[in-house]
Amino acid sequence: MCASVKYNIRGPALIPRMKTKHRIYYITLFSIVLLGLIATGMFQFWPHSIESSNDWNVEKRSIRDVPVVRLPADSPIPERGDLSCRMHTCFDVYRCGFNPKNKIKVYIYALKKYVDDFGVSVSNTISREYNELLMAISDSDYYTDDINRACLFVPSIDVLNQNTLRIKETAQAMAQLSRWDRGTNHLLFNMLPGGPPDYNTALDVPRDRALLAGGGFSTWTYRQGYDVSIPVYSPLSAEVDLPEKGPGPRQYFLLSSQVGLHPEYREDLEALQVKHGESVLVLDKCTNLSEGVLSVRKRCHKHQVFDYPQVLQEATFCVVLRGARLGQAVLSDVLQAGCVPVVIADSYILPFSEVLDWKRASVVVPEEKMSDVYSILQSIPQRQIEEMQRQARWFWEAYFQSIKAIALATLQIINDRIYPYAAISYEEWNDPPAVKWGSVSNPLFLPLIPPQSQGFTAIVLTYDRVESLFRVITEVSKVPSLSKLLVVWNNQNKNPPEDSLWPKIRVPLKVVRTAENKLSNRFFPYDEIETEAVLAIDDDIIMLTSDELQFGYEYFNYLYTYKMPGDIKNWVDAHMNCEDIAMNFLVANVTGKAVIKVTPRKKFKCPECTAIDGLSLDQTHMVERSECINKFASVFGTMPLKVVEHRADPVLYKDDFPEKLKSFPNIGSL
Amino acid sequence: MQSWRRRKSLWLALSASWLLLVLLGGFSLLRLALPPRPRPGASQGWPRWLDAELLQSFSQPGELPEDAVSPPQAPHGGSCNWESCFDTSKCRGDGLKVFVYPAVGTISETHRRILASIEGSRFYTFSPAGACLLLLLSLDAQTGECSSMPLQWNRGRNHLVLRLHPAPCPRTFQLGQAMVAEASPTVDSFRPGFDVALPFLPEAHPLRGGAPGQLRQHSPQPGVALLALEEERGGWRTADTGSSACPWDGRCEQDPGPGQTQRQETLPNATFCLISGHRPEAASRFLQALQVLAALQEMSPARVLALRQQTQFLWDAYFSSVEKVIHTTLEVIQDRIFGTSAHPSLLWNSPPGALLALSTFSTSPQDFPFYYLQQGSRPEGRFSALIWVGPPGQPPLKLIQAVAGSQHCAQILVLWSNERPLPSRWPETAVPLTVIDGHRKVSDRFYPYSTIRTDAILSLDARSSLSTSEVDFAFLVWQSFPERMVGFLTSSHFWDEAHGGWGYTAERTNEFSMVLTTAAFYHRYYHTLFTHSLPKALRTLADEAPTCVDVLMNFIVAAVTKLPPIKVPYGKQRQEAAPLAPGGPGPRPKPPAPAPDCINQIAAAFGHMPLLSSRLRLDPVLFKDPVSVQRKKYRSLEKP
Repeated sequence: MCASVKYNIRGPALIPRMKTKHRIYYITLFSIVLLGLIATGMFQFWPHSIESSNDWNVEKRSIRDVPVVRLPADSPIPERGDLSCRMHTCFDVYRCGFNPKNKIKVYIYALKKYVDDFGVSVSNTISREYNELLMAISDSDYYTDDINRACLFVPSIDVLNQNTLRIKETAQAMAQLSRWDRGTNHLLFNMLPGGPPDYNTALDVPRDRALLAGGGFSTWTYRQGYDVSIPVYSPLSAEVDLPEKGPGPRQYFLLSSQVGLHPEYREDLEALQVKHGESVLVLDKCTNLSEGVLSVRKRCHKHQVFDYPQVLQEATFCVVLRGARLGQAVLSDVLQAGCVPVVIADSYILPFSEVLDWKRASVVVPEEKMSDVYSILQSIPQRQIEEMQRQARWFWEAYFQSIKAIALATLQIINDRIYPYAAISYEEWNDPPAVKWGSVSNPLFLPLIPPQSQGFTAIVLTYDRVESLFRVITEVSKVPSLSKLLVVWNNQNKNPPEDSLWPKIRVPLKVVRTAENKLSNRFFPYDEIETEAVLAIDDDIIMLTSDELQFGYEYFNYLYTYKMPGDIKNWVDAHMNCEDIAMNFLVANVTGKAVIKVTPRKKFKCPECTAIDGLSLDQTHMVERSECINKFASVFGTMPLKVVEHRADPVLYKDDFPEKLKSFPNIGSL
Repeated sequence: MQSWRRRKSLWLALSASWLLLVLLGGFSLLRLALPPRPRPGASQGWPRWLDAELLQSFSQPGELPEDAVSPPQAPHGGSCNWESCFDTSKCRGDGLKVFVYPAVGTISETHRRILASIEGSRFYTFSPAGACLLLLLSLDAQTGECSSMPLQWNRGRNHLVLRLHPAPCPRTFQLGQAMVAEASPTVDSFRPGFDVALPFLPEAHPLRGGAPGQLRQHSPQPGVALLALEEERGGWRTADTGSSACPWDGRCEQDPGPGQTQRQETLPNATFCLISGHRPEAASRFLQALQVLAALQEMSPARVLALRQQTQFLWDAYFSSVEKVIHTTLEVIQDRIFGTSAHPSLLWNSPPGALLALSTFSTSPQDFPFYYLQQGSRPEGRFSALIWVGPPGQPPLKLIQAVAGSQHCAQILVLWSNERPLPSRWPETAVPLTVIDGHRKVSDRFYPYSTIRTDAILSLDARSSLSTSEVDFAFLVWQSFPERMVGFLTSSHFWDEAHGGWGYTAERTNEFSMVLTTAAFYHRYYHTLFTHSLPKALRTLADEAPTCVDVLMNFIVAAVTKLPPIKVPYGKQRQEAAPLAPGGPGPRPKPPAPAPDCINQIAAAFGHMPLLSSRLRLDPVLFKDPVSVQRKKYRSLEKP
C-alpha cells in the first residue's frame, strides 16, 4: 500500500516507458473518465437548461387567483386620521426593538381581493405601480416575512389613487387586517388624494393612526415629522429616456407645459409671454392631432407641435403650477429634463422635504407673485442656476425616477426617525455624487487652539539602539512643554532595559512593548497619550535642541490605525519603510491641507548609524520611497499631497535683533 | 512484480476517478428527481405575479390632465402659514427692515440694552411705514408693564412677537397673524415655517459677546463619563461605558448601577448629556438613559468628535448671547423673504455660520473664503491690488511697478483719497490700472467695490514699499490660508494691568495678533463684512480715528476665523528705516499709536476680545538656510 502510494505520486513519469498496447488502453480509459468528469461539471454549472431551480423559491401565481374576502356592510370603520399624531404619540417604537443594525423591519400583508356583501369589488385589486412598490420593499433589506418581528406594516390594499376605490369599504378592509390595532405602525402609500369637487390634499380614507406617505400634502393636512411627503410618480420616467443635458443657458428661459390649468393661471402665464416674447413659452394640449398620435406626448403652442417631455430640456426654468391637486406628476418630468422647477402652489409640501433641500434645486414663488416670476428668476446668478439644474437632475435620479426609488426613500426617512443617531446626514441626502467625491471635510473643522499648558507627548519608536535612545530621551526631556514620554519598544526578542537603567527625567516615561516589529506601531493611538499634540521622533535623531518640534495630532494616530486603507498598512509593515509618507498621505487626504514644516536644522545627525543599521540612509531606501508614493497614490485614488513653498519660523527668526529678546534662540544653533 | 504494481496503481487512480464521477453525477440526478420544496423558514417575499404585465397603471393617461376646478382655498381658520399671513411686498430692496416698538413707561436695563442692540444693527429702520417687519418685544413682567396692543397692529400682519423668557404676561390681545418667537413652543401651537423656536435662555444670559464653548481639545479626555442625565432637582447623574445596558424593548429591569450624582452648579464632565423635555420619575429615566447609552456606544469616535465640534460651533455662532439669538431670529425670517437668495444650508451649518457669512454677498459657497475644502475648489490664482493714496498724495509709481510685476496680479486699483488733483499720467503697466476718485473717508478703503473681481485683495498704502518677490511669496501663502489675513508688518495687543484695559503695541516682539492693512492679503469678502455687518458706530469710529481702521479689520477677521493672522518676511532694511510707529510705512504722520481707547471701544462693541496671538512667521522653505543661493526661489527676500 505504501509503495503504491509512492508510485502513484510518480505515476505519469512511468507511462511513456510502458508498452504501446497498454498505453493505448490506458489512454482510452482515462479519456472516458475525463469526458465523464467534464460532462458532470457541465451538468453542475449549467442548471438552467435542465432545471430552473430559482423559480422554486418564488410562487408563480396569477392575480386572479388571490383569495377573496367578503366585507360585511357593518364591519368596523377606523377613525378619521388624527391630525395631532406625532412619532412619539402614535407610533410604537418598541416594536422596532428587535431590529438589528439600526434597520426597521417591514412586513407586507398578503394580497387579497375585497368584495362587499353583493360581491362587488371594493377597488382594483392592485395597480402596476403598487405591485412594483411592494416588490421593491420585499427585495430590500427592510423586508421581513415574520409578522412578529416587524416594526412597520404595509397593507397590500392599493390606495395610490383615491379615484379608483370606494372609501368606506376600503377603510373597512384596513380595519380587519390582523395587526391593524388602530393603524399603529401601518404605512399607506397614496399619490393622488382627494376627489371632486374639493380635492382634499390628503387621502380621504379613514385611517386612524396610520402613517401616510402622500403626494400632494398641504401645510394644513401634513403632520410634520409623522407623514412623509412623496412625489407623484410620472409613468414617463420609465417610458422616455432623456439623456442628461449639461447645465447652461437653454433656448427658453421659462416654460409652462401643463395642460388643464385654471384659466386664471393661464391668463397670467400668457401675459408673461406677451411681455417677454421669445424667452417664455406657454404650451397647451393639442387640438388637431392626427389619429394614432398619443396626446399625452405632445404639446402645442398655436400651430407649433412639440414633443413632450423632450421640450422640457429646452428650457432653463419650468413652471409647476397647482392643478386641482397640489402634487403634480409634471414635477418629476421637469426634474428629469434638468429644468429648474418653479413651484407655484401655495402651502404645498414638496416631496421628501423632510430631508431634501429644495432651495438647491427649485424656486418656490407665492401664487400672488406670479406676475413677478420673470424678474424673480432673472435675479438669480447664472452659477446658481447651473447648480440648480445639476441638483434637479440628481434629485430625479436618486429619488424620483422609479417607484423603487420612491419606496426606499420613504422607508429610509422613517428609519432615520426611529434611529436618529444612525440617520443619514444632510450631505448624503443632498450632495450629488460628484460633490461627495470632490469635497474634503476636515475632521478637525472647529478652529481650536489647544491650550499651551497641556504640552505634548513624545513618542520614540525604538528597536534596540539603547544608547542612542537614552540620549534622545535626555535631550527631549529638557523641552519645557513636554508632558509625557512614550517609548515604543518594537523588539520582541529582547526585553527593554530595567527601570533603574533609564535616564531620570522630570516627566513620566512609559514603555510600551509591541507584539510585532512594525513601523506602524508608531502611529497607534495609545491610551497613554493624553495630549492633543504628539511629537514622533526616531531613536537615531539625537541632535535636537529643545526648541525643535515636529507635531502630529493624536487624532491622526487614531485614523492611522483604524481608517488607513488596509493595503497600505500591510505594505508598510512588510517593507519596513514609508510609514511617515503614509501618515502624510493620510493627513493630507482627510484635511485637504498641506503639512507644515518648522524651522530646520542643518542636519539630523546620527553618529551611530551605519549603512546597515540606519534604515533611512540606504541608497535603495530612496528608490523604495518613491515607489511608496506611487503605490499610496493609487490606493487613495488621488494625490492628496499638496506642495507648499512656506515653512513656519519663529517671528523673529534670524532677524537682526538682540538674541536674548527672542523666544527660541537655540534653533539652528547646533 | 513492478508492472503489476504499476498496473495496480493505475487501477487505483482509475477507480478513484470513477467514484468521483458517480458521486457528482448521482448528486445531480438526485436533485433532478427530487425538486427542493421551499423551506418553511426561508423568506418568500412578495410574489412575482404571472400576469404582472397586464396590470394597469394607477393613473390613466386621460386622468392626469385634470380639468381643474378653481384652485382650492386653504382653510384659514386660525392657523397661518408663510404665504397666507406674511406680506412680502413691503420687503423690497435691501433685505429685512425692522421697526421696533419703543418701550412704554419704565423699562428694565436688559430691555433697554436689547432695544439698543437692535437699533444699532443693520436690520433697523426708524419708520414703521418703511419697515417690513414690526417687532414687539415681550420681555419682562417684573416691571409690570405688559405690552398693550400696538398702533400699527393690523391683526398682527407682518409682526413678530419676541418672547425671550416664558410668557409671564397674560395675553391681552389676540396674536392673530403675528409670528411668535419663543422658547419651547408646543407642537400644537407651533406653526412650522412661520413661527420661530428659540432656545430657553437663563435670566443671566450675556447680552453680547458671550463665553466661547468649553471644548478645549479635539481628542476625548480619558476618565470622562460617557453620558450624563439631567435629574429632576437640577443635578446631573453620570453613567460610564461600563454601565449595564438594557435591551431596547421598553422594559428594562436591571439595576441602574452606581451612577454618580453631581451638584447642579458644575456641569457634568461627560461626552453626552441626556436632556428630556417631559419629566417622568427619575428612576425610569435613568433606565432609559442606559438604553440610550447602548446606542451611543456603537457610535464611532470620528462621529462623536464631529458632533462635539458641531455643538461648539452652534453654541458660538447662534446661542452664546441674547444678541446672537435675536439676530439669528431675524436672519431666519430674512431668509424666508429672500427665497432663492437665502443662505444655503452649508452656510448655516458650518463655521463661521450664517450671521457672519452674508447671503447678500453671494449664495454660492465657493465665493466665500471658508468653504473651499468642502466645495473641493481652490482660491483663484490672481489678486487685485488696492492702493490707497491719502495725503500728501504722491502717485506711488515705484509700488505700482513692483506689484504689477507679480505674475499673479490681475488688476491695480488706486483709491485717490486726497485734495490734490488726479495726476493725468499713470505708469504703463502690464495689468489694467483703475483709478477711483472722490472717497475721503478712511472706511472707504474697505468698501466692496464692484470693480474688484478676484478673490484676493492686496491692500496697500501709497507709502508701502514691497518687492515683487515679497508679493509673490505672500500671495502663495495666502492661497494656503485664504480665510486669514497675510501681512508683512505686525502689531499686538496686551492686557494692561495698570489701566485695566487693553493696550496696543507695534514693537517687535515674539508674538503678534494683528497685521497692518497697509500691506496685507485678504479675501474680498471681508470688505463686504466690514461695510455691511459692522454696527454703524464702529465705522464712524474708524473714520474719526483713522488709526483704528487696522484694529477694526483685524477684529473682524479674528472674530470670524477664530485664528490669528499670518506674518510673512519683510525686507529688513525698510522695516527699520520706517520711523513711523505703529505702522512702519503707514500713512499717518502722527507717531502715537492709535488711541488706546480705540481698541477698548471696539472690544466693548464686540463684547469680547477676538484677537489671538501667534508666534509664527511663514518663510520660504530654504529661507536663510546655508545652501547655495541658486537653489532658492525667493532670493531677494534675503538681501540685506
